Amino acid sequence: MTTVRVTAAPARQAGPRGWLMEDSLAGMARRRALLGYVFLLPTLLGILIFTAGPVIVSLGLSLFEWNVFDPPVFMALDNYQRFFSDSRILTGFTNTAKMVSLAVVIEMILAFALALGVQRTVRPALRYFFRSAYFLPLLTSAATISIVMAYMFHSQFGVINYYLGLVGVPRIPWLEQAQWALISVVLVYVWHRLGFTFIVFSGGLGNLPKEILEAADVDGATGWRRLWYIVLPMLSPSILFAAVTAIISGLQIFDEPFVMVKGGPGDATRTVVMLIYESAFKNIELGYAAAIAAMLFVVILLVTVIQFRISKALVFYQ
Amino acid sequence: MDLFSNRHLNRRRFLQAALGAAGVSLVAACSSGAPAPKPAATAGAAPAGAAAPASGSTQGSLRIALFGSRSDADRRAALIPPFNKLYPNVKVEYTPIQGTDWEEFFSKVLTMKAANNAPDITFVATEGTQLFAGQGLALPLDDYVKRDQKDMAQYFSDVHPSLVEAMMYEGSLYELPIDFNVPNMYFNTSVLQSAGLEYPPADWTKDTFYDYAKKTAKKDSTGQTQAFGYQWVNRLWGSWLPWVFVNGSNLLTEERAPGGEWLWQAFYKDDKAATGRGGGWHWNAPKANDPANLEALDFMVQLLKEGVSAPVELGGGSQLQGFFSGGKLAMTPAGGFWAGGLHAAGMAADAFDVQFFPKWKSQRHQFGTAGYVIMKDARDKDLAWEYLKYLSGVEAMSIELNGNNSTPTRRSFMSAERYAPTGPKHWQVFYDTLEKNPDTAPIPAPPESNPMTTIFTKYSGLAMTQEMTPKAALDAMQKDLEALWAKRKK
Repeated sequence: MTTVRVTAAPARQAGPRGWLMEDSLAGMARRRALLGYVFLLPTLLGILIFTAGPVIVSLGLSLFEWNVFDPPVFMALDNYQRFFSDSRILTGFTNTAKMVSLAVVIEMILAFALALGVQRTVRPALRYFFRSAYFLPLLTSAATISIVMAYMFHSQFGVINYYLGLVGVPRIPWLEQAQWALISVVLVYVWHRLGFTFIVFSGGLGNLPKEILEAADVDGATGWRRLWYIVLPMLSPSILFAAVTAIISGLQIFDEPFVMVKGGPGDATRTVVMLIYESAFKNIELGYAAAIAAMLFVVILLVTVIQFRISKALVFYQ
Repeated sequence: MDLFSNRHLNRRRFLQAALGAAGVSLVAACSSGAPAPKPAATAGAAPAGAAAPASGSTQGSLRIALFGSRSDADRRAALIPPFNKLYPNVKVEYTPIQGTDWEEFFSKVLTMKAANNAPDITFVATEGTQLFAGQGLALPLDDYVKRDQKDMAQYFSDVHPSLVEAMMYEGSLYELPIDFNVPNMYFNTSVLQSAGLEYPPADWTKDTFYDYAKKTAKKDSTGQTQAFGYQWVNRLWGSWLPWVFVNGSNLLTEERAPGGEWLWQAFYKDDKAATGRGGGWHWNAPKANDPANLEALDFMVQLLKEGVSAPVELGGGSQLQGFFSGGKLAMTPAGGFWAGGLHAAGMAADAFDVQFFPKWKSQRHQFGTAGYVIMKDARDKDLAWEYLKYLSGVEAMSIELNGNNSTPTRRSFMSAERYAPTGPKHWQVFYDTLEKNPDTAPIPAPPESNPMTTIFTKYSGLAMTQEMTPKAALDAMQKDLEALWAKRKK
């Protein structure tokens, strides 16, 4: 007689430990997931403490009047009412919008042209040199760059006007007239940030599938047609990423207008973030500053959502 | 039961003890970021005549916020060993805070206060005295000064009363002024000489200045400017405001605050310069568009339009200093601090000189002065006062003001020997401005000094860039200042 020995399936241990340590595919998946969360934990904690926490506190603060010296006073939505009736807010947002529009267009076109030029004409070994060279300004502090640039843009003794003068261009009041001051600030800002967008485009161009480009060549697509119908659509995810980061960064522009022209002449280069700074630390109205910051957050969020909506129709994902 | 005996320490007791300790720590942390202040007499409660703390046994630490760079703080590290000879168990730490102007420095100190991380002592200039005093951030020194009257007599006998008065608010003294700066007129001597001009007399006038400015402004054959006659930095101190002062006006209506007799009687009884002084200054209604102010700004714009004056500089004045030391600028308003600055920039002691600001309707100058305040949240106020007292002494001031990076408030420090390495030749001008022009007064610096300066520089800039006419700019400035003052009334 043959005896069949039946082995019972390992009993699931009681409690969470048993649930986790269960010797099955599900248990293994749970352990993997847990490990994933453990790895994520430092980052999540960092975000919670250093980003989400301050954002929540700032939102709360926007409902109070607080001058640092006295205890905060609850004001409900008064700060937001003031936001909509403060004429300087409109000026700040208008200046910021002008700077962002100008900066993003110049930055995107210039970075793309440079990336394309380096990709097509420079030997691979030299590309690293160009990438490092264009990225270098990004590693320098914006304040330092702004101080040096203020010297260079000086209308009387600056080198920019000196060289422009050599080719017959009359002296430009770079920092002294409202429209020129805004352009100067944008040029310095773009010069500082260009390397980042350049690297994004360089990476994107380097990863374009060769077989498609070769097929385009075989089909006779060259020059503008190849760029317009092949390269740009395939690069569109990189363009979207570069545009989103450029706009978000541009909406927060502060260092260059603050250091170079202190928001002047008058209010010509006073940006939203400068208004936040001045409200908080010059006028000591921390609640109102938090309300402006909250509204800027809403604007950035809206702009980003719109960008992603538009991108659904324009961005080509392989 | 002995908690720390292994024999009795089981897991339950350990957890109980740990939770208890954590709870106590949490409560302590929530109550304050800093250790609780000593219950000993604070300045407000210290009985006059009470004995100073015994130095040898005093323990503690002092954190001092300083307007400057790390190297400025390192330079002041030399102040600590002599203090530690008196107080060997006291740790003193300087925290440097950088900014382009005093407003930025104050902003950062206020941020520290908001974060419950305020220093014990803060270096504060005229621009912030009323802000710190008026908002209750600083401690009045009256009781300490009265208590240590004998110790303080020598200091006050050496310091001009106008500087002390500038550090008073509503009759109370908040700082012992350490240094000051008057915007006098600096000259690049080689630019002056190449224009065939002599060092001007002390009572030179606005018209003579205009003549000097025109003669020193140089253009080449292509019309490119080689040197400007005059330039200034767009800020509150030493901008175009000195012209407002010599034109007999001010940005705000001013009056002396009542009080302060206790100090004048105690220390300046026989000093004529102290006659009529009060308990600080009240800066009341704005008068930005006063006709005298308009006249002054018109003059500045006229110089600009004629190509005599360079466009105004924003920021801390480093660019202007570069132009001056490089021979591209003949004259600019600056204080004693510039002697050290120009020397450090490589200018020889005889390459520049200084004279009073030119006379217009008057020769009333403006000045800014600075000292240390004890913060109301200071952990040990008595100890902080001992450090302030030490800083006002001869030894500490000679360490602190080494290098002519500012003008010492002690007149006994002003000597040919002191200025021999750096210049200028007429160094006496710095202190004589106070002695010979007794109506000289501090820059207008009410508690609203920070936003007021933003408004002032904004419209000054608009006028100087010719985006607005001087009249329109001053009218708009007046309107904004009135709106700011309306908030004060609330």
